[in-house]
Amino acid sequence: MIEEKDIIQILYRAIDDLNLQLPPEQRLEKSAETVLFGEGGRLDSLGLVTFIVAAEQKVTEVAGITLTLADEKAMSRRNSPFRTVGTLAEYIGERLAEDGNG
Amino acid sequence: MVIEFLRQVFADRAERSAVIWQDREFSYGHLLSRLDHWRRRLEEEVAPGTVTVLEADFSPEAIALLLALIERGTIVVPLTPAVQTRKKEFIETAAGELDFLVDAEDKVHPSRLPFRADHPLYDELRRRGHPGLVLFSSGTTGRSKAILHDVSHLLRKYTTRRHDFTTLAFLLFDHIAGIDTLLYVLSNGSCLVTVPDRSPDTVCRAVERYRVEVLPVSATFLHLLLLSGAHERYDLGSLKYIAYGSEVMPEATLKRCAELFPGVTLLQKYGTTEVGTLRSRSESSDSPWVRIGGEGFQTRVVDGILQIKAHSAMLGYLNAPSPFTRDGWFITGDRVEVRGEYMRIHGRDSDIINVGGEKVFPTEVEDLILQLDNVADVTVYGEPNLITGNIVCADVSLVRPEEEPRFIARVKRFCREHLQPYKVPVKVNIVDEHRFSQRFKKLRQKRD
Repeated sequence: MIEEKDIIQILYRAIDDLNLQLPPEQRLEKSAETVLFGEGGRLDSLGLVTFIVAAEQKVTEVAGITLTLADEKAMSRRNSPFRTVGTLAEYIGERLAEDGNG
Repeated sequence: MVIEFLRQVFADRAERSAVIWQDREFSYGHLLSRLDHWRRRLEEEVAPGTVTVLEADFSPEAIALLLALIERGTIVVPLTPAVQTRKKEFIETAAGELDFLVDAEDKVHPSRLPFRADHPLYDELRRRGHPGLVLFSSGTTGRSKAILHDVSHLLRKYTTRRHDFTTLAFLLFDHIAGIDTLLYVLSNGSCLVTVPDRSPDTVCRAVERYRVEVLPVSATFLHLLLLSGAHERYDLGSLKYIAYGSEVMPEATLKRCAELFPGVTLLQKYGTTEVGTLRSRSESSDSPWVRIGGEGFQTRVVDGILQIKAHSAMLGYLNAPSPFTRDGWFITGDRVEVRGEYMRIHGRDSDIINVGGEKVFPTEVEDLILQLDNVADVTVYGEPNLITGNIVCADVSLVRPEEEPRFIARVKRFCREHLQPYKVPVKVNIVDEHRFSQRFKKLRQKRD
Protein backbone atom coordinates (compact mmCIF):
# COMPACT_ATOMS: atom_id res chain seq x y z
CA MET A 1 0.00 0.00 0.00
CA ILE A 2 1.39 3.35 -0.97
CA GLU A 3 1.02 6.15 1.53
CA GLU A 4 0.26 9.74 0.72
CA LYS A 5 3.78 10.88 1.59
CA ASP A 6 5.10 8.37 -0.97
CA ILE A 7 2.73 9.78 -3.57
CA ILE A 8 4.01 13.28 -2.84
CA GLN A 9 7.53 11.92 -3.50
CA ILE A 10 6.31 10.44 -6.81
CA LEU A 11 4.91 13.85 -7.77
CA TYR A 12 8.21 15.53 -6.84
CA ARG A 13 9.90 13.22 -9.33
CA ALA A 14 7.36 14.26 -11.95
CA ILE A 15 8.18 17.90 -11.08
CA ASP A 16 11.90 17.14 -11.55
CA ASP A 17 11.12 15.76 -15.01
CA LEU A 18 9.00 18.74 -15.97
CA ASN A 19 11.51 21.27 -14.61
CA LEU A 20 14.19 19.78 -16.86
CA GLN A 21 12.15 21.05 -19.80
CA LEU A 22 11.14 24.46 -18.43
CA PRO A 23 13.01 27.76 -18.39
CA PRO A 24 14.16 28.67 -14.82
CA GLU A 25 11.41 31.25 -14.16
CA GLN A 26 8.63 28.75 -14.91
CA ARG A 27 9.95 25.85 -12.80
CA LEU A 28 7.74 24.37 -10.10
CA GLU A 29 8.64 24.28 -6.45
CA LYS A 30 8.56 20.90 -4.72
CA SER A 31 5.89 21.57 -2.12
CA ALA A 32 2.43 20.17 -1.44
CA GLU A 33 1.13 23.74 -1.57
CA THR A 34 2.42 24.48 -5.08
CA VAL A 35 -0.57 25.65 -7.10
CA LEU A 36 -0.67 23.77 -10.40
CA PHE A 37 -3.71 25.02 -12.29
CA GLY A 38 -6.46 27.56 -11.79
CA GLU A 39 -6.22 30.91 -10.05
CA GLY A 40 -2.55 31.68 -9.38
CA GLY A 41 -1.53 28.39 -11.02
CA ARG A 42 1.94 27.92 -12.47
CA LEU A 43 1.02 25.81 -15.51
CA ASP A 44 -0.60 26.65 -18.82
CA SER A 45 -2.76 24.09 -20.62
CA LEU A 46 0.12 22.21 -22.24
CA GLY A 47 2.12 22.38 -19.02
CA LEU A 48 -0.80 20.84 -17.14
CA VAL A 49 -1.19 18.04 -19.67
CA THR A 50 2.56 17.33 -19.60
CA PHE A 51 2.62 17.25 -15.81
CA ILE A 52 -0.37 14.92 -15.56
CA VAL A 53 1.20 12.50 -18.06
CA ALA A 54 4.51 12.61 -16.16
CA ALA A 55 2.65 11.88 -12.92
CA GLU A 56 0.83 8.93 -14.54
CA GLN A 57 4.13 7.52 -15.78
CA LYS A 58 5.78 7.84 -12.36
CA VAL A 59 2.84 6.09 -10.68
CA THR A 60 3.21 3.23 -13.15
CA GLU A 61 6.97 3.01 -12.53
CA VAL A 62 6.63 2.95 -8.75
CA ALA A 63 3.34 1.14 -8.17
CA GLY A 64 3.09 -0.90 -11.36
CA ILE A 65 -0.45 0.38 -11.88
CA THR A 66 -1.67 2.20 -14.96
CA LEU A 67 -3.83 5.18 -14.01
CA THR A 68 -5.51 7.72 -16.26
CA LEU A 69 -5.75 10.85 -14.15
CA ALA A 70 -7.39 13.25 -16.61
CA ASP A 71 -10.66 11.44 -17.14
CA GLU A 72 -14.38 11.91 -16.68
CA LYS A 73 -14.04 11.16 -12.96
CA ALA A 74 -11.60 14.01 -12.48
CA MET A 75 -13.61 16.40 -14.66
CA SER A 76 -16.88 15.79 -12.84
CA ARG A 77 -15.55 16.57 -9.35
CA ARG A 78 -16.66 19.76 -7.78
CA ASN A 79 -13.11 20.64 -6.74
CA SER A 80 -10.48 20.03 -9.35
CA PRO A 81 -7.89 17.45 -8.26
CA PHE A 82 -5.32 19.40 -10.28
CA ARG A 83 -5.42 22.47 -8.05
CA THR A 84 -2.22 21.80 -6.05
CA VAL A 85 0.41 19.09 -5.66
CA GLY A 86 -1.33 18.15 -2.38
CA THR A 87 -4.83 17.78 -3.87
CA LEU A 88 -3.42 15.73 -6.73
CA ALA A 89 -1.60 13.41 -4.29
CA GLU A 90 -4.85 12.94 -2.39
CA TYR A 91 -6.70 12.15 -5.62
CA ILE A 92 -4.08 9.63 -6.73
CA GLY A 93 -4.35 8.00 -3.29
CA GLU A 94 -8.11 7.63 -3.71
CA ARG A 95 -7.76 6.21 -7.20
CA LEU A 96 -5.12 3.69 -6.11
CA ALA A 97 -7.34 2.59 -3.21
CA GLU A 98 -10.27 2.08 -5.61
CA ASP A 99 -8.04 -0.05 -7.83
CA GLY A 100 -6.90 -2.05 -4.84
CA ASN A 101 -10.49 -2.82 -3.87
CA GLY A 102 -11.75 -3.42 -7.35
CA MET B 1 -16.76 50.66 -51.12
CA VAL B 2 -16.71 47.10 -49.77
CA ILE B 3 -16.94 48.23 -46.16
CA GLU B 4 -19.52 50.97 -46.69
CA PHE B 5 -22.10 48.92 -44.76
CA LEU B 6 -19.73 48.81 -41.78
CA ARG B 7 -19.13 52.57 -41.92
CA GLN B 8 -22.91 52.98 -41.76
CA VAL B 9 -23.13 50.81 -38.63
CA PHE B 10 -20.24 52.68 -37.00
CA ALA B 11 -21.88 56.06 -37.68
CA ASP B 12 -25.25 54.87 -36.31
CA ARG B 13 -23.56 53.52 -33.20
CA ALA B 14 -21.01 56.32 -32.69
CA GLU B 15 -21.66 56.55 -28.93
CA ARG B 16 -21.67 52.81 -28.29
CA SER B 17 -18.70 50.73 -27.14
CA ALA B 18 -17.00 48.93 -29.99
CA VAL B 19 -13.94 47.45 -28.30
CA ILE B 20 -12.79 46.85 -24.75
CA TRP B 21 -9.00 46.76 -24.82
CA GLN B 22 -6.75 46.70 -21.75
CA ASP B 23 -9.83 47.50 -19.68
CA ARG B 24 -10.52 50.70 -21.62
CA GLU B 25 -13.60 51.28 -23.76
CA PHE B 26 -13.37 52.56 -27.32
CA SER B 27 -16.52 53.74 -29.09
CA TYR B 28 -17.67 53.17 -32.65
CA GLY B 29 -17.11 56.91 -33.14
CA HIS B 30 -13.46 56.42 -32.18
CA LEU B 31 -13.13 53.46 -34.53
CA LEU B 32 -14.65 55.52 -37.35
CA SER B 33 -12.27 58.45 -36.81
CA ARG B 34 -9.25 56.07 -36.76
CA LEU B 35 -10.59 54.43 -39.92
CA ASP B 36 -10.79 57.85 -41.59
CA HIS B 37 -7.28 58.69 -40.41
CA TRP B 38 -5.91 55.52 -41.97
CA ARG B 39 -7.96 55.98 -45.14
CA ARG B 40 -6.30 59.34 -45.75
CA ARG B 41 -2.81 57.99 -45.04
CA LEU B 42 -3.19 54.86 -47.15
CA GLU B 43 -4.64 56.81 -50.09
CA GLU B 44 -1.43 58.84 -50.17
CA GLU B 45 1.06 56.12 -49.40
CA VAL B 46 -0.16 52.66 -50.44
CA ALA B 47 -1.35 51.45 -53.84
CA PRO B 48 -4.36 49.10 -54.11
CA GLY B 49 -3.24 45.50 -54.62
CA THR B 50 -0.19 45.89 -52.35
CA VAL B 51 0.46 42.90 -50.07
CA THR B 52 0.40 44.33 -46.54
CA VAL B 53 1.45 42.36 -43.46
CA LEU B 54 -0.44 43.34 -40.30
CA GLU B 55 1.40 42.14 -37.20
CA ALA B 56 -1.20 42.63 -34.51
CA ASP B 57 -3.72 41.16 -32.12
CA PHE B 58 -7.25 42.39 -31.43
CA SER B 59 -6.92 46.10 -30.53
CA PRO B 60 -8.71 49.31 -31.59
CA GLU B 61 -5.90 50.43 -33.88
CA ALA B 62 -5.42 46.95 -35.39
CA ILE B 63 -9.13 46.73 -36.20
CA ALA B 64 -9.27 50.24 -37.74
CA LEU B 65 -6.14 49.56 -39.77
CA LEU B 66 -7.37 46.14 -40.94
CA LEU B 67 -10.58 47.73 -42.23
CA ALA B 68 -8.70 50.64 -43.83
CA LEU B 69 -6.35 48.21 -45.61
CA ILE B 70 -9.39 46.32 -46.91
CA GLU B 71 -11.07 49.56 -47.96
CA ARG B 72 -7.91 50.61 -49.81
CA GLY B 73 -8.03 47.34 -51.75
CA THR B 74 -4.79 45.88 -50.40
CA ILE B 75 -4.14 42.20 -49.75
CA VAL B 76 -3.83 41.86 -45.97
CA VAL B 77 -1.76 39.20 -44.19
CA PRO B 78 -2.63 39.28 -40.45
CA LEU B 79 -0.03 37.66 -38.19
CA THR B 80 -0.32 37.37 -34.39
CA PRO B 81 2.43 36.85 -31.81
CA ALA B 82 1.29 33.19 -31.62
CA VAL B 83 3.06 32.47 -34.94
CA GLN B 84 6.25 34.32 -33.98
CA THR B 85 8.46 31.25 -34.62
CA ARG B 86 7.24 31.08 -38.23
CA LYS B 87 6.83 34.78 -39.01
CA LYS B 88 9.71 35.00 -41.49
CA GLU B 89 8.51 31.96 -43.41
CA PHE B 90 4.92 33.28 -43.56
CA ILE B 91 5.94 36.75 -44.76
CA GLU B 92 8.15 35.24 -47.45
CA THR B 93 5.44 32.80 -48.58
CA ALA B 94 2.89 35.62 -48.87
CA ALA B 95 5.54 37.89 -50.48
CA GLY B 96 4.70 40.77 -48.13
CA GLU B 97 5.58 44.18 -49.55
CA LEU B 98 4.70 46.46 -46.63
CA ASP B 99 4.69 45.69 -42.93
CA PHE B 100 2.53 47.32 -40.24
CA LEU B 101 3.53 46.34 -36.73
CA VAL B 102 0.99 47.28 -34.04
CA ASP B 103 2.90 47.39 -30.73
CA ALA B 104 1.74 46.75 -27.15
CA GLU B 105 0.81 50.45 -26.76
CA ASP B 106 -1.36 50.23 -29.89
CA LYS B 107 1.05 52.35 -31.93
CA VAL B 108 1.61 51.43 -35.57
CA HIS B 109 5.10 51.06 -37.09
CA PRO B 110 5.14 50.77 -40.89
CA SER B 111 8.17 49.46 -42.78
CA ARG B 112 9.02 48.18 -46.27
CA LEU B 113 9.59 44.49 -46.98
CA PRO B 114 11.89 43.13 -49.70
CA PHE B 115 9.42 40.88 -51.55
CA ARG B 116 7.69 41.26 -54.90
CA ALA B 117 4.13 39.98 -54.90
CA ASP B 118 3.57 38.75 -58.46
CA HIS B 119 1.62 35.55 -57.81
CA PRO B 120 -1.00 34.89 -60.55
CA LEU B 121 -3.74 34.68 -57.89
CA TYR B 122 -2.78 38.15 -56.65
CA ASP B 123 -3.00 39.39 -60.24
CA GLU B 124 -6.47 37.87 -60.53
CA LEU B 125 -7.56 39.75 -57.42
CA ARG B 126 -6.05 42.99 -58.74
CA ARG B 127 -7.92 42.53 -62.05
CA ARG B 128 -11.15 42.26 -60.07
CA GLY B 129 -10.15 45.33 -58.09
CA HIS B 130 -11.00 43.51 -54.86
CA PRO B 131 -9.20 43.47 -51.49
CA GLY B 132 -7.59 40.21 -50.33
CA LEU B 133 -6.84 38.32 -47.15
CA VAL B 134 -4.11 35.72 -46.67
CA LEU B 135 -4.49 33.22 -43.81
CA PHE B 136 -2.26 30.28 -42.96
CA SER B 137 -3.34 26.76 -42.12
CA SER B 138 -1.46 23.51 -41.75
CA GLY B 139 -0.92 21.59 -44.97
CA THR B 140 -0.82 17.84 -45.51
CA THR B 141 2.95 17.67 -45.22
CA GLY B 142 3.27 19.93 -42.20
CA ARG B 143 4.17 22.93 -44.34
CA SER B 144 1.67 25.73 -43.78
CA LYS B 145 -0.60 26.60 -46.65
CA ALA B 146 -1.18 30.24 -47.56
CA ILE B 147 -4.87 30.69 -48.31
CA LEU B 148 -5.97 33.68 -50.40
CA HIS B 149 -9.50 35.04 -49.98
CA ASP B 150 -11.38 37.66 -51.99
CA VAL B 151 -12.55 39.83 -49.10
CA SER B 152 -15.54 41.21 -50.99
CA HIS B 153 -16.92 37.64 -51.10
CA LEU B 154 -16.09 36.98 -47.45
CA LEU B 155 -17.86 40.18 -46.39
CA ARG B 156 -21.10 39.48 -48.19
CA LYS B 157 -22.64 37.34 -45.46
CA TYR B 158 -22.16 40.09 -42.86
CA THR B 159 -24.23 42.67 -44.75
CA THR B 160 -27.41 41.25 -43.16
CA ARG B 161 -27.83 42.70 -39.67
CA ARG B 162 -28.27 40.00 -37.03
CA HIS B 163 -28.19 39.91 -33.22
CA ASP B 164 -26.35 42.45 -31.12
CA PHE B 165 -24.35 40.54 -28.49
CA THR B 166 -21.35 41.58 -26.42
CA THR B 167 -18.76 39.04 -27.53
CA LEU B 168 -15.38 37.94 -26.23
CA ALA B 169 -12.49 37.84 -28.72
CA PHE B 170 -11.12 34.43 -27.75
CA LEU B 171 -10.23 33.04 -31.18
CA LEU B 172 -7.20 34.48 -32.94
CA PHE B 173 -6.89 37.61 -35.08
CA ASP B 174 -5.12 35.62 -37.84
CA HIS B 175 -7.54 32.64 -37.89
CA ILE B 176 -10.68 32.44 -40.00
CA ALA B 177 -12.81 31.93 -36.87
CA GLY B 178 -11.33 35.02 -35.19
CA ILE B 179 -11.98 37.10 -38.32
CA ASP B 180 -15.53 35.72 -38.36
CA THR B 181 -16.07 36.80 -34.73
CA LEU B 182 -14.74 40.29 -35.52
CA LEU B 183 -16.86 40.85 -38.63
CA TYR B 184 -20.00 39.48 -36.98
CA VAL B 185 -19.56 41.80 -34.00
CA LEU B 186 -18.76 44.91 -36.07
CA SER B 187 -21.56 44.34 -38.56
CA ASN B 188 -24.07 44.32 -35.70
CA GLY B 189 -22.58 47.29 -33.87
CA SER B 190 -21.83 45.09 -30.85
CA CYS B 191 -19.06 45.30 -28.31
CA LEU B 192 -15.93 43.14 -28.70
CA VAL B 193 -14.19 42.37 -25.41
CA THR B 194 -10.48 41.57 -25.83
CA VAL B 195 -8.34 39.73 -23.26
CA PRO B 196 -4.58 39.88 -22.56
CA ASP B 197 -4.37 36.06 -22.33
CA ARG B 198 -6.75 33.15 -22.73
CA SER B 199 -6.53 31.48 -19.33
CA PRO B 200 -9.87 30.51 -17.72
CA ASP B 201 -9.56 33.13 -14.95
CA THR B 202 -8.76 35.99 -17.32
CA VAL B 203 -11.62 35.03 -19.62
CA CYS B 204 -14.16 34.62 -16.78
CA ARG B 205 -13.10 37.91 -15.19
CA ALA B 206 -13.77 39.67 -18.51
CA VAL B 207 -17.16 37.93 -18.88
CA GLU B 208 -18.21 39.12 -15.42
CA ARG B 209 -16.86 42.65 -15.74
CA TYR B 210 -18.24 43.44 -19.21
CA ARG B 211 -21.38 41.29 -19.09
CA VAL B 212 -20.24 39.21 -22.07
CA GLU B 213 -23.09 37.40 -23.83
CA VAL B 214 -21.29 35.28 -26.45
CA LEU B 215 -18.18 33.24 -25.71
CA PRO B 216 -16.66 31.53 -28.77
CA VAL B 217 -14.12 28.94 -27.55
CA SER B 218 -12.57 25.51 -28.16
CA ALA B 219 -13.38 22.20 -26.47
CA THR B 220 -9.96 22.37 -24.80
CA PHE B 221 -10.84 25.70 -23.21
CA LEU B 222 -14.04 24.23 -21.76
CA HIS B 223 -12.05 21.36 -20.21
CA LEU B 224 -9.61 23.81 -18.70
CA LEU B 225 -12.47 25.98 -17.46
CA LEU B 226 -14.03 23.03 -15.63
CA LEU B 227 -10.68 22.03 -14.12
CA SER B 228 -9.76 25.57 -13.08
CA GLY B 229 -13.02 26.14 -11.26
CA ALA B 230 -12.97 29.71 -12.60
CA HIS B 231 -16.68 29.48 -13.42
CA GLU B 232 -17.34 29.33 -9.66
CA ARG B 233 -15.20 32.36 -8.84
CA TYR B 234 -16.91 34.70 -11.29
CA ASP B 235 -20.48 35.58 -12.16
CA LEU B 236 -21.10 34.25 -15.67
CA GLY B 237 -24.82 35.03 -15.53
CA SER B 238 -24.63 37.36 -18.55
CA LEU B 239 -23.69 34.51 -20.93
CA LYS B 240 -26.29 33.56 -23.53
CA TYR B 241 -24.22 31.49 -25.98
CA ILE B 242 -21.07 29.42 -25.81
CA ALA B 243 -19.95 28.64 -29.35
CA TYR B 244 -17.41 25.85 -29.77
CA GLY B 245 -15.60 24.32 -32.72
CA SER B 246 -12.23 23.52 -34.36
CA GLU B 247 -11.92 20.15 -32.60
CA VAL B 248 -14.22 17.30 -31.73
CA MET B 249 -16.11 17.93 -28.49
CA PRO B 250 -16.42 14.88 -26.20
CA GLU B 251 -20.09 14.27 -25.52
CA ALA B 252 -19.52 14.01 -21.76
CA THR B 253 -17.96 17.50 -21.62
CA LEU B 254 -20.86 18.89 -23.60
CA LYS B 255 -23.39 17.36 -21.21
CA ARG B 256 -21.49 18.62 -18.18
CA CYS B 257 -21.35 22.18 -19.58
CA ALA B 258 -25.07 22.03 -20.39
CA GLU B 259 -25.72 21.06 -16.73
CA LEU B 260 -23.41 23.71 -15.31
CA PHE B 261 -24.70 26.55 -17.50
CA PRO B 262 -28.43 25.83 -17.77
CA GLY B 263 -29.27 29.32 -19.08
CA VAL B 264 -26.67 29.17 -21.83
CA THR B 265 -27.21 27.79 -25.33
CA LEU B 266 -24.23 25.70 -26.46
CA LEU B 267 -23.72 26.06 -30.17
CA GLN B 268 -21.39 24.08 -32.39
CA LYS B 269 -19.61 26.04 -35.14
CA TYR B 270 -18.02 24.62 -38.24
CA GLY B 271 -15.70 26.20 -40.75
CA THR B 272 -12.42 25.80 -42.55
CA THR B 273 -9.85 28.39 -43.53
CA GLU B 274 -10.52 27.54 -47.18
CA VAL B 275 -14.29 28.16 -47.22
CA GLY B 276 -14.98 30.30 -44.17
CA THR B 277 -17.38 29.74 -41.27
CA LEU B 278 -20.79 28.26 -42.01
CA ARG B 279 -23.98 29.18 -40.21
CA SER B 280 -24.95 26.41 -37.84
CA ARG B 281 -27.58 25.24 -35.40
CA SER B 282 -27.02 22.52 -32.79
CA GLU B 283 -29.87 20.07 -32.26
CA SER B 284 -29.78 21.02 -28.57
CA SER B 285 -27.21 22.29 -26.06
CA ASP B 286 -26.12 18.81 -25.03
CA SER B 287 -26.22 17.27 -28.50
CA PRO B 288 -23.24 16.75 -30.81
CA TRP B 289 -25.59 16.83 -33.81
CA VAL B 290 -25.54 20.03 -35.82
CA ARG B 291 -27.14 21.48 -38.93
CA ILE B 292 -24.69 23.49 -41.01
CA GLY B 293 -25.07 25.57 -44.13
CA GLY B 294 -26.64 28.98 -44.56
CA GLU B 295 -26.83 31.30 -47.51
CA GLY B 296 -23.90 30.88 -49.88
CA PHE B 297 -22.98 27.41 -48.60
CA GLN B 298 -23.90 23.97 -49.93
CA THR B 299 -22.85 20.74 -48.27
CA ARG B 300 -22.72 17.12 -49.40
CA VAL B 301 -21.21 13.94 -48.03
CA VAL B 302 -19.17 11.70 -50.33
CA ASP B 303 -17.82 8.40 -48.96
CA GLY B 304 -18.50 9.66 -45.44
CA ILE B 305 -16.39 12.80 -45.94
CA LEU B 306 -17.91 16.28 -45.82
CA GLN B 307 -17.61 18.47 -48.92
CA ILE B 308 -18.55 22.14 -49.08
CA LYS B 309 -19.28 24.46 -51.96
CA ALA B 310 -19.13 28.07 -50.85
CA HIS B 311 -19.61 31.42 -52.42
CA SER B 312 -17.01 32.74 -50.00
CA ALA B 313 -14.45 30.03 -50.84
CA MET B 314 -10.82 31.06 -51.24
CA LEU B 315 -9.31 31.87 -54.63
CA GLY B 316 -6.72 29.23 -53.92
CA TYR B 317 -3.48 28.38 -52.14
CA LEU B 318 -0.43 30.53 -52.89
CA ASN B 319 1.89 27.57 -52.32
CA ALA B 320 -0.10 24.42 -53.18
CA PRO B 321 -2.30 23.08 -55.99
CA SER B 322 -6.04 23.74 -55.95
CA PRO B 323 -7.88 21.35 -53.60
CA PHE B 324 -11.28 21.84 -55.24
CA THR B 325 -13.08 19.14 -57.22
CA ARG B 326 -13.68 19.94 -60.88
CA ASP B 327 -17.19 21.16 -60.05
CA GLY B 328 -15.94 23.46 -57.30
CA TRP B 329 -16.44 21.47 -54.09
CA PHE B 330 -13.92 21.62 -51.26
CA ILE B 331 -13.10 18.24 -49.68
CA THR B 332 -12.81 18.99 -45.96
CA GLY B 333 -11.26 15.65 -44.95
CA ASP B 334 -13.65 15.54 -41.99
CA ARG B 335 -15.53 12.28 -41.49
CA VAL B 336 -19.21 12.90 -40.72
CA GLU B 337 -22.28 10.88 -39.86
CA VAL B 338 -25.63 12.03 -41.23
CA ARG B 339 -29.03 11.73 -39.57
CA GLY B 340 -31.79 13.57 -41.42
CA GLU B 341 -30.74 17.18 -41.70
CA TYR B 342 -28.23 16.90 -38.87
CA MET B 343 -24.59 15.89 -39.00
CA ARG B 344 -22.14 14.64 -36.43
CA ILE B 345 -18.55 15.62 -37.13
CA HIS B 346 -15.96 12.99 -36.19
CA GLY B 347 -12.87 14.84 -37.34
CA ARG B 348 -9.97 14.00 -39.60
CA ASP B 349 -9.61 10.58 -41.08
CA SER B 350 -5.83 10.64 -41.21
CA ASP B 351 -2.59 10.73 -39.26
CA ILE B 352 -3.08 14.39 -38.35
CA ILE B 353 -3.09 14.89 -34.58
CA ASN B 354 -5.54 17.53 -33.33
CA VAL B 355 -4.17 19.08 -30.12
CA GLY B 356 -6.62 21.58 -28.70
CA GLY B 357 -7.81 22.53 -32.19
CA GLU B 358 -4.28 22.91 -33.59
CA LYS B 359 -3.15 20.41 -36.19
CA VAL B 360 0.10 18.51 -35.82
CA PHE B 361 1.61 16.54 -38.69
CA PRO B 362 3.60 13.53 -37.43
CA THR B 363 6.12 13.84 -40.28
CA GLU B 364 7.15 17.35 -39.23
CA VAL B 365 7.95 16.21 -35.68
CA GLU B 366 9.59 12.98 -36.92
CA ASP B 367 11.83 14.90 -39.34
CA LEU B 368 13.02 17.09 -36.50
CA ILE B 369 13.72 14.27 -34.03
CA LEU B 370 15.66 12.37 -36.72
CA GLN B 371 18.15 15.25 -36.76
CA LEU B 372 19.19 14.43 -33.19
CA ASP B 373 22.33 12.47 -32.45
CA ASN B 374 21.83 8.78 -31.53
CA VAL B 375 18.33 8.52 -33.04
CA ALA B 376 17.90 5.48 -35.31
CA ASP B 377 14.21 5.89 -36.06
CA VAL B 378 11.12 7.55 -34.71
CA THR B 379 7.34 7.21 -35.00
CA VAL B 380 5.13 10.10 -33.91
CA TYR B 381 1.45 9.50 -33.20
CA GLY B 382 -1.45 10.88 -31.20
CA GLU B 383 -2.88 9.46 -28.01
CA PRO B 384 -6.32 10.48 -26.72
CA ASN B 385 -6.30 12.96 -23.85
CA LEU B 386 -9.36 14.32 -22.16
CA ILE B 387 -8.10 17.87 -21.82
CA THR B 388 -6.61 18.69 -25.22
CA GLY B 389 -8.32 15.95 -27.25
CA ASN B 390 -4.98 14.36 -28.08
CA ILE B 391 -1.35 14.54 -27.07
CA VAL B 392 1.70 14.04 -29.26
CA CYS B 393 3.75 10.91 -28.49
CA ALA B 394 7.02 9.69 -29.96
CA ASP B 395 8.49 6.18 -30.02
CA VAL B 396 12.22 6.44 -30.63
CA SER B 397 14.80 3.72 -31.24
CA LEU B 398 18.43 4.44 -30.46
CA VAL B 399 21.69 3.72 -32.27
CA ARG B 400 23.51 2.93 -28.97
CA PRO B 401 22.23 2.73 -25.39
CA GLU B 402 21.67 6.04 -23.60
CA GLU B 403 20.33 6.86 -20.15
CA GLU B 404 16.57 7.21 -20.58
CA PRO B 405 15.73 10.38 -18.56
CA ARG B 406 18.66 12.25 -20.10
CA PHE B 407 17.66 11.23 -23.60
CA ILE B 408 13.98 12.13 -23.12
CA ALA B 409 14.85 15.56 -21.73
CA ARG B 410 17.19 16.10 -24.70
CA VAL B 411 14.44 15.26 -27.22
CA LYS B 412 11.88 17.52 -25.54
CA ARG B 413 14.29 20.43 -25.17
CA PHE B 414 15.29 20.20 -28.84
CA CYS B 415 11.64 20.04 -29.95
CA ARG B 416 10.77 22.97 -27.70
CA GLU B 417 13.45 25.09 -29.35
CA HIS B 418 12.26 24.35 -32.88
CA LEU B 419 8.51 23.72 -32.72
CA GLN B 420 5.39 25.53 -31.56
CA PRO B 421 4.62 24.31 -28.00
CA TYR B 422 1.60 22.15 -28.90
CA LYS B 423 3.76 20.08 -31.31
CA VAL B 424 6.31 19.05 -28.68
CA PRO B 425 5.86 15.36 -27.74
CA VAL B 426 4.41 14.97 -24.24
CA LYS B 427 5.42 11.30 -24.13
CA VAL B 428 8.74 10.06 -25.46
CA ASN B 429 9.29 6.29 -25.29
CA ILE B 430 12.48 4.46 -26.12
CA VAL B 431 11.64 1.32 -28.09
CA ASP B 432 13.62 -1.53 -29.60
CA GLU B 433 12.36 -1.53 -33.14
CA HIS B 434 9.61 -0.01 -35.22
CA ARG B 435 6.52 -1.66 -36.49
CA PHE B 436 5.58 -1.45 -40.10
CA SER B 437 2.39 -2.44 -41.80
CA GLN B 438 2.41 -4.94 -44.63
CA ARG B 439 2.64 -2.06 -47.07
CA PHE B 440 5.63 -0.70 -45.16
CA LYS B 441 3.81 2.34 -43.94
CA LYS B 442 4.54 3.34 -40.40
CA LEU B 443 1.84 2.27 -37.99
CA ARG B 444 1.15 5.40 -36.02
CA GLN B 445 -0.55 3.87 -33.02
CA LYS B 446 0.15 3.35 -29.40
CA ARG B 447 1.87 0.10 -28.63
CA ASP B 448 0.24 -2.43 -26.36
